[in-house]
Amino acid sequence: MTALLIGLTIGLAWFGALTVWLVGDARPRLQHILASVFAAGAGCASIALLFRAGADPVLRIPLGGSFGDLTMVPDGLGVFLTAVAAVIGALVVVFSAEYMRGEAELGRYYALVLLFIGAMCGLVLTGSMLVMFICWEITAFCSYALISFHNDDPKAVAGGIKALIMTQLGGVGLLAGALLGYAYFGDYEISTFLARAPGLPPTVLALAAYGALIAAAAKSAQVPFHTWLPDAMQAPTPVTALIHAATMVNAGVYLLARFFPAFQSVPGWSTAVVIVGLLTALLAGCMALVAVDLKRALAYSTVSQLGYMVYAVGAGGVFASQFHLMSHSLFKALLFLAAGTVIHAARTRDMRKMGGLAREMPFVRTVFVVGFLGLAGIPIANGFLSKELVLESGLVHGPRWAFWIMVLTAGLTALYGLRMLTLVFAGKRRDPAHLHDPGPAMRVPLAALALGTLSTWALAGPFSGLLERTLPHHDLHAQGTSQWAQEVLAAPVTWAVMAVVLAGLGLWWLRSRMEPITRTPLPLARALGAGLGFDYLNDRFAAATLGAASGLRRLQTGQLSWNVMGMLLALVALLAALLLWG
Amino acid sequence: MTAVLVGAAILAAIMATRAARLLSSALWLAAVSALLSVLFFDLGAPQVAVIELSVGAGLVTVLFIFAINLAGEAGKPPAAVVPAWLAAGIAVLVPVLLAALAAFEAVATPAEPGPAFAEMLWQQRGLDVLVQIVLIFAGVLGLLGLLAEVEAPLGRSAVKEVVARREQDLLALESAARKEEVRV
Amino acid sequence: MSISPLALGVLGLLGVGFYALVVSKNLIRTLIALQILVKSAVLGLLLAGTLSGKLQLAQSLAVTAIVADTVVAVVGMAFAVQIRRRMGTLDLRDLAQLRG
Repeated sequence: MTALLIGLTIGLAWFGALTVWLVGDARPRLQHILASVFAAGAGCASIALLFRAGADPVLRIPLGGSFGDLTMVPDGLGVFLTAVAAVIGALVVVFSAEYMRGEAELGRYYALVLLFIGAMCGLVLTGSMLVMFICWEITAFCSYALISFHNDDPKAVAGGIKALIMTQLGGVGLLAGALLGYAYFGDYEISTFLARAPGLPPTVLALAAYGALIAAAAKSAQVPFHTWLPDAMQAPTPVTALIHAATMVNAGVYLLARFFPAFQSVPGWSTAVVIVGLLTALLAGCMALVAVDLKRALAYSTVSQLGYMVYAVGAGGVFASQFHLMSHSLFKALLFLAAGTVIHAARTRDMRKMGGLAREMPFVRTVFVVGFLGLAGIPIANGFLSKELVLESGLVHGPRWAFWIMVLTAGLTALYGLRMLTLVFAGKRRDPAHLHDPGPAMRVPLAALALGTLSTWALAGPFSGLLERTLPHHDLHAQGTSQWAQEVLAAPVTWAVMAVVLAGLGLWWLRSRMEPITRTPLPLARALGAGLGFDYLNDRFAAATLGAASGLRRLQTGQLSWNVMGMLLALVALLAALLLWG
Repeated sequence: MTAVLVGAAILAAIMATRAARLLSSALWLAAVSALLSVLFFDLGAPQVAVIELSVGAGLVTVLFIFAINLAGEAGKPPAAVVPAWLAAGIAVLVPVLLAALAAFEAVATPAEPGPAFAEMLWQQRGLDVLVQIVLIFAGVLGLLGLLAEVEAPLGRSAVKEVVARREQDLLALESAARKEEVRV
Repeated sequence: MSISPLALGVLGLLGVGFYALVVSKNLIRTLIALQILVKSAVLGLLLAGTLSGKLQLAQSLAVTAIVADTVVAVVGMAFAVQIRRRMGTLDLRDLAQLRG
């Protein structure tokens, strides 16, 4: 039964992709309906799967030869991320029915989105590192194809290629890890790796650990690999909400959480993870503060929150990081979708040109406020509980100085969140165009996500129980929701954090009185706006790669003699190798 | 005897490579065929010898002469893509390595009493023969297709299709130019 | 290590064929080089036949090889004629269109 559910989740998504593509672009309404139906089906299957989690593989198909087995293990980590991917995916597809109305090539769009959903579910559910790598690559491809969906826009194409190049670095690391595992242990299974990791020679384990960190950092847009996410904002907004807020970028954090028991013993690894998460959270928070493009600000905010999750894993709080992942997926998808409606209506992404939209788009304003509550970590939203849990685990297991910086960043988060909210919705209308609230196809997903943001903190107990039960190697401790809540509310740290958050909010509120202070760090603001030089480095790197590729082109002479020569040289090398080592 | 034949065959092959005129090359190739045919006969494989002689020295040579007459000589001065010394080096290296690898010092075992050639070819390797027939058929079709002279003229409907497609492309260009919306 | 003259023949023809294949500038010379290579292969087949005693089997395989090679030569020459007609040249350096 569980295997069937897994098959349905992935199969419905992929079958939907094929069907929508085959229906053809001449019947857009049918495409919208079919895509929504299939995505909803996958979503329902994934929710049913939540109740059937277990620690053992339910599916094992031998792939033949040295490719190992295709195994599916519905453990807590996997089924929860599957549910997130499929449910938010379904909501995004429904949202796209209205958002993408009138757009060309919907078949390509929906097919890629559904293909992505299936691949993401496969990535987190599989127990084989090789299959995980394959799904990783499929998601990277879908991300690239969707970012450059409007492929007549050079900026979109450039953004897509940048994302592809950077996340592929991570893919290589993952493949290397999978092959290492196979070389030493004889199979690709994650459970085998986790169980026998202490048996690896220390240098190999360290290599695997740091390689995994680089792979995760590239995929989750951590410093120094963060430059691709803001440029990925060229994608249609529903895509951004799904891929770059709720699912694909979480793959990196998932990787770290999954392999944490194996790597935590590597000297310096946990600290490195903490530092990466910390730097990212802080820097990205600062960049979000000075951004004027609404989607870019949200992108930096995503990077910053991912930094929180990475920090939590480094500090040993695997449950806290995954719980924050769930909260973040909900409120960030909500914020992105709401931003999408705003941008769609106001015809601009520049926040300075918006303002006073609350009067004309009250529904969107309300859901945006809910999202902001989650982002800033205000007590009624899920972000509060999850962020406090992250900070608590950081306090208990991580370095003290890192903890205080993260608390400061929480205040920064509230600051830039309120900035976004007021710039867009409050004040006078700066651009006198006609606006209105979106239609039902866009409202339902927004409302669903807002409800989720306000309620899913209650899942803390069952979720931690699920993880403890199904992840034997991770050594987690579960508690009921009320106990988690009590723990958080009773901790003095929580109140300190709330004070900082309030200070952040207050700073923005009183900003007109603080003009002289806010004017001085202008050069810093300009540097932050320019991405602190990371973009420049990235461009140099890309240019160097392209230059090397152009140089290698000269090898392709097209001359028959040259090619035959190549074949003969290879033959010589082969024969020589056979002679020497055969 | 074998050694003389082998030596002569190799010499002829070298001459085929280095001949200035294509026609001479083809004729030297025929010589290689003939010498090898005698060699095959010596080895105790008369059927292959006959086939090699008739096909190699006969059919292929005639075809080459035909082709050379039709296709003519090239007039460009030789400036090789790959330098001659490198080519010669590889050409020597590969056989040397192969010789080092292969067990060429094995002694010939006497031919085991098996089926006669005809039975072997038609019965036991019957599938091979079938495939050869298909191959020849395919070769003939390829030959005919390649040497076809006439190009089918565009029918009226085909012309209309081309015109319609060009109009569509123009329309698409226009509508793309009109799209100035901000990419959201 | 003593190598029988037959083996030397195989290797020698192989080498000549490879050399010719690499240095040929004309499409027809390439075809001639291919022919030399296949003849060396056939000789090798028969050598294997004498060494292992299965001469009849080797002969059958050799026949197959000769037929296949002849078909290749025929189609190749048809190519050459047509290319000469359309592109005006048989020089391989000019015909190279798969440049990177």
